[in-house]
Amino acid sequence: MTQSTIKTNSNDHKIAKLAAIAVAISLVEFFLPSPIPGVKPGIANIIILYTIFKFDYQTGVWVSLIRVFITSIIIGTFLSPTFFLSLSGALCSLLIVLIFKNYNKKNFSLISISLLASLAHIVGQFIVVRVWIIPHDGILYLLPLFLISAFIFGIVNGIIVQKLITSKTK
Amino acid sequence: MSFNKIIVSLFLCLIYGCSYDPIYQKKHYIFGTLVDIKIYGEKEETAKNISNEIIEELNRLHQLLHPWNPGIINDINQAIANDKSIYINNNEIINIIHDASTLENNTKGIFNPAIGKLVNLWGFHSETLPTKLPSKEAINSLVTLKPSMNNISIKNNILKSRNNSVQIDLGGYGKGYALDQIKNILSVNDIPNALINIGGNILALGKRGSKTWVVAIQNPREPGVIAKIPLKPGWSIGTSGDYQKYLIDDKIRYSHLINPFTGSPSQGTQSAIVLTPPSVNSGTLSDVYSKPLFIAHKNKKFIVAKSLGLNYFLIIMEDNSIIISKDMMNEISWYQEPDAKNIITN
Amino acid sequence: MKLAGIKNLMQKILLLIKKFKSGDWLVMLLFISLIFFITKYYWEFPQGQYLKIEKNNEIIGTYSLNQKNTFIIDSLMGTSEIIIDNNRARFSKSPCKKQYCIHQGWIKKINQTIICLPNQISISVIGNKEQFDSINY
Repeated sequence: MTQSTIKTNSNDHKIAKLAAIAVAISLVEFFLPSPIPGVKPGIANIIILYTIFKFDYQTGVWVSLIRVFITSIIIGTFLSPTFFLSLSGALCSLLIVLIFKNYNKKNFSLISISLLASLAHIVGQFIVVRVWIIPHDGILYLLPLFLISAFIFGIVNGIIVQKLITSKTK
Repeated sequence: MSFNKIIVSLFLCLIYGCSYDPIYQKKHYIFGTLVDIKIYGEKEETAKNISNEIIEELNRLHQLLHPWNPGIINDINQAIANDKSIYINNNEIINIIHDASTLENNTKGIFNPAIGKLVNLWGFHSETLPTKLPSKEAINSLVTLKPSMNNISIKNNILKSRNNSVQIDLGGYGKGYALDQIKNILSVNDIPNALINIGGNILALGKRGSKTWVVAIQNPREPGVIAKIPLKPGWSIGTSGDYQKYLIDDKIRYSHLINPFTGSPSQGTQSAIVLTPPSVNSGTLSDVYSKPLFIAHKNKKFIVAKSLGLNYFLIIMEDNSIIISKDMMNEISWYQEPDAKNIITN
Repeated sequence: MKLAGIKNLMQKILLLIKKFKSGDWLVMLLFISLIFFITKYYWEFPQGQYLKIEKNNEIIGTYSLNQKNTFIIDSLMGTSEIIIDNNRARFSKSPCKKQYCIHQGWIKKINQTIICLPNQISISVIGNKEQFDSINY
């Protein structure tokens, strides 16, 4: 029998470590109460943004997707509506970051990107909720609440990521 | 920087658009009923002028079409009753008479504007509601004379009727006709978005901004509405109801909608509502075609609707059952959801 | 002691805010505007439809808020002027001494009322926001 070994390089280790932290944060977030079960502010985004701006975008995508999959497998919501909520939020967030990540670094800092990512994260989740999970206009009454939360976390996350990146380069 | 400007201005447009809802509204007692004019998205000056023009037109039509006041119709009716011919130099009236004939034939005589004498017999030719039932003999004698618009001929502007029991009563035609005339006025004056309500008969032009106009349907027995339905651009809605004009004798309600074949008010239906799609005379049709739907026997209502090409209709019966077309069912939103067992659809 | 702690916190926050770039402020502003307008749109404040004007507790009239209008009303102390504009209403002129009624400004939500006591004139907003544009009957 030929033994096949999968060789891992340091990049993979990096991704694994970051994903692990992201998953851990997600699990904690899972237990936080929310007006719409499953829709969460996305604190793990800190890790994702950190990864994208410290290393590169592709690595960030890996970490983000692994987080979504592993978290749902651990909790047991894999392929459930909650999973698709989480996935949708993550994808929308990644898309927005892709568009804006290099935009006008002179006038916009990571705070802006974090705010936009946070907004996209919530909107992405809301789209899945409104179209599939609770197809009722009434659900949109909760949008203002989540937008406020997205705003606050957007700023907080942005500040934290900024700090992480600048302090680590010392 | 220009990218920023685009985003900001798009954003501001969105916000501004969300709250801007410029409607000019005017209510007026005219044409013998309450008229409600809503004009969307025009300068106040423009809307006011158009509204005045509409009111003038309604005044004119009120005089022209009145079933029993002095006027052309009355002159014609008198000539007919006296077996005389009469010269008409008003082309509009001639066209209306021809149109009414056509509609009588389309509805196989259920809509019959020549039965003015019967309507008068039942007491509905007055501003006050009737109090006494006419005798069976009186009714029968009028029914057997079989007045019909087809008895009238107009040649070289000379009108005569071979049946002197014909009396023209355009009561079931006037509101709809007025809607069509107003439609023309608005179109000629380039007003694309308006909602005109003449005594409950409504025409929708364009939309209320980005939203379709929405009309509510009256509960035939209590003040209040039972449902609402969008009225798409160009569509009209008309109703015949036993709650509009009626008399109650010995606990039985006699509505003003008389079946020309029996000579008596049709029984069993509370209200019949139809929607007609955009066309030159959609207003007229929405008014006229609600009558056969009201008068027809319960089992024949779907057949009658089909023969008139009506896809959107709702009929509320005296026993509270609801006859509703499939298309109407899809678009209607009920305020008081009716029992599923009461709904009859196709 | 606590004061020093708070001062410290404020200094830290100020340092953080200084790091924000001009574009960041723009994004934050747009975000907040978005929140404001979404809130306004979905938690629709019940805009009234009609203005009821009363003099000496008798209803003079009920007028649509949809249409610009100016009303001049004579009463106890003299002539008052009420304006309807842009779906809202207010007292624009009043012969009363303290002019409270004018200072109340515009009203537009259902049940909002302004009363000019010395003159015994009141205006109040009534009417539910209808879910339809006209009634077929």
